[in-house]
Amino acid sequence: MNTPPSEHDIHAYVDGRLEGAPREAVERYLARHPERAAEVRAWQHDAQRLRAAIGGTQLLPDNHALHPGVVRARRRQRRIARLSLAAAAVLCLGLGGVGGWQMRGMRSEAAVAPMADAMAAYRLVALDHAARPDVVPQRAGDMQAWLDAHFEHAARLPDLSSAGFHAVGGRLFATDQGPAAMVLYEDAAGHAISFYVRPPGPRNHLLPTGQRSDGGLMAQYWSGQGYNYAMVSRDDGADAQVAARARQQSI
Amino acid sequence: MSIHAFDDQLSELLPRLRRFALWLTRDLSSADDLVQSTMERALSTRAAKRDDGDLRAWLFRILYRQFLDARRRSQRYAWLLGRLREDDEPQWPSAERELLAQSALAAFEHLTPEQRSLLLWVTVEGLSYQEVADILEVPIGTVMSRLSRARQAMRRHGDGEQPTPSLRLLK
Repeated sequence: MNTPPSEHDIHAYVDGRLEGAPREAVERYLARHPERAAEVRAWQHDAQRLRAAIGGTQLLPDNHALHPGVVRARRRQRRIARLSLAAAAVLCLGLGGVGGWQMRGMRSEAAVAPMADAMAAYRLVALDHAARPDVVPQRAGDMQAWLDAHFEHAARLPDLSSAGFHAVGGRLFATDQGPAAMVLYEDAAGHAISFYVRPPGPRNHLLPTGQRSDGGLMAQYWSGQGYNYAMVSRDDGADAQVAARARQQSI
Repeated sequence: MSIHAFDDQLSELLPRLRRFALWLTRDLSSADDLVQSTMERALSTRAAKRDDGDLRAWLFRILYRQFLDARRRSQRYAWLLGRLREDDEPQWPSAERELLAQSALAAFEHLTPEQRSLLLWVTVEGLSYQEVADILEVPIGTVMSRLSRARQAMRRHGDGEQPTPSLRLLK
């Protein structure tokens, strides 16, 4: 037979894994091809030397860290460490999140205290008398008409007459978001309460209902019909209650 | 298989794994690192993957894969540093070096890691060609031609029967 044995059969022969007819075929072939036979013998010899030199020897010093039990214990420890690390990370994240949220609240409050302009307007007109009202109502309904001329669909002016307060004047103010208006009410004792309306902002958000005291004044604010409103009064019981009732009516 | 039985089998194979890793990396501490990560991998994937087949071939496969990964990483790292450690002198443990010198197996050292692995698996460990093909993830025919090349390289580098001068020993 002339066809050379397959590579597989040659290697299997070298490695002593070939039996029976295939083995005889390889032997017959090698008998006729001395060069190939010499190579195969050399390969067998190399394999024997390799086995003799390497196989079955244990020259390496014992390494305790490699034993399965030790590896297992280390994995367990690492898992626990990782778990506690993860728990710590979650905790940090949580604390950071809560803290951050509170910081955000504090910052935005500090940056844009709601209705600070309403209180500034009140001080300017009602306390300092530094600015005069633009309009002084001659008849009932004048203030509402004036307001409607500047603000479409704004809330109705509150009626504070039951508490002795009457509208005495109105004034426009400029804000970054457009005109704002203040209507000032006074009672016989000269106490002032203001109704303030402005476009929402800055950053264009409407206000939740709330109140804020600052420097002896109280602003009670809310939103509706696309505007922000505030009733500003002195921060004492009676006037603030009147303002609160007015807000109640308007909401 | 109980955990204990499995651990016992692993312990039994540990010397072979270390030997293989040593011939692969030519450095004892890298070899033991490799064996350690192989053990960890084996212990963590046992339940999911292993129930049949030869445990030894499976471990060799893990170890060899980890070796390839590590080498790829270190080559990337070396490239980043602008140097390749190809021609660094291998750090053989002295006992192994002696062994090499004595047995005139210097040729073995000149083979590529893959060729060394191949010859170890086939001649020393006696893995089947199919198991080797599975480890290398190549067809069995490819294993055969690579085996031919490895054996030829062994011949080419080796000076046959004459023992190599033991200069290497004194270095």
